[in-house]
Amino acid sequence: MPMLEWCRALEETAVGTLVRETAFPYVEGTHVLGLSLSVGTVMWFDLRLLGATMSTRSVSEVFRDLRGWMFAGFAIMFLTGALLFTAHATKAYESAYFRAKLALIVLAGVNIVVYHLTIDRSEPEWGAAPVPPLAARAAGLISLTLWFSVISAGRLLAYSL
Amino acid sequence: MVWEILRPFVSLLGDSAFGQWLGQSTERIAWLFVMHLAGLTLLLGGTVVVSLRLLGIGLGSQSLPQLARDVAPWRMSGLVLSLISGALIFTGGAVSYYEGAWFRQKMTLLCVALIFNFTVFRLVTQAADGRFSPWLNRVTGGLALLLWFGVGVSGRAIAFF
Repeated sequence: MPMLEWCRALEETAVGTLVRETAFPYVEGTHVLGLSLSVGTVMWFDLRLLGATMSTRSVSEVFRDLRGWMFAGFAIMFLTGALLFTAHATKAYESAYFRAKLALIVLAGVNIVVYHLTIDRSEPEWGAAPVPPLAARAAGLISLTLWFSVISAGRLLAYSL
Repeated sequence: MVWEILRPFVSLLGDSAFGQWLGQSTERIAWLFVMHLAGLTLLLGGTVVVSLRLLGIGLGSQSLPQLARDVAPWRMSGLVLSLISGALIFTGGAVSYYEGAWFRQKMTLLCVALIFNFTVFRLVTQAADGRFSPWLNRVTGGLALLLWFGVGVSGRAIAFF
């Protein structure tokens, strides 16, 4: 079944209809304020990688401090984001902002995987330094840039629906 | 009432050439909303980490005054970004925003949140660990979350209700 047909079917499900006709403001509100727990927590880790905050704590300590809240925040974002998608699936699917947003999220995921498989391996050696090595700073800057671009694409997507 | 006293100035602002120019373009307003959300993420993300520490349910590896100092510049940048973009969004539709009940609730909560922030919140977060009772810390963290998320929820409600 072509994607657009699938999107139309999704919109017509009970969930899609409920979100579109009743729950939209609440789901959308949760999605927007969920930024405080998702990007709002991961950004401290990114800034720590840049050497721009919490420099008295090691990189791994900052990660352990934020981990649980960060995962909870992104779980809320994916759940509410998926629900919002069911409400306007066809329009979202055809929107360039939606496609850009998904691509940026994938890139942010790739950045996380690359970080954990490479630079993070030697974190015990450099993690306590107030300013981490260039590769770690680059990972932090890329992550910050991508997440704030995701926010921008999301806001512009809401305007285009 | 203060709302009556301010009304003529709001009309003047909304009818000004600048206000008209801002309100003319949806795209201009959309980019201001992008800035507003970026500011929200920094402000609420900062509020969340400091409040979790105050509540004793997160960021346990950090001392409270050190954490508050580390977070403050980013959190305050978020506040300034939100205030500037918010003021511009308001200018682009001043008269209609001004009469809304949710807008007035948002502004009232914003004033309370700002006063709380620069008095109790500042005093408690800058005090050395153990100077105040854990209960004062918890109440301060809870109130900070309630007030700033209250501002956020009212803001979302302006768009929907």
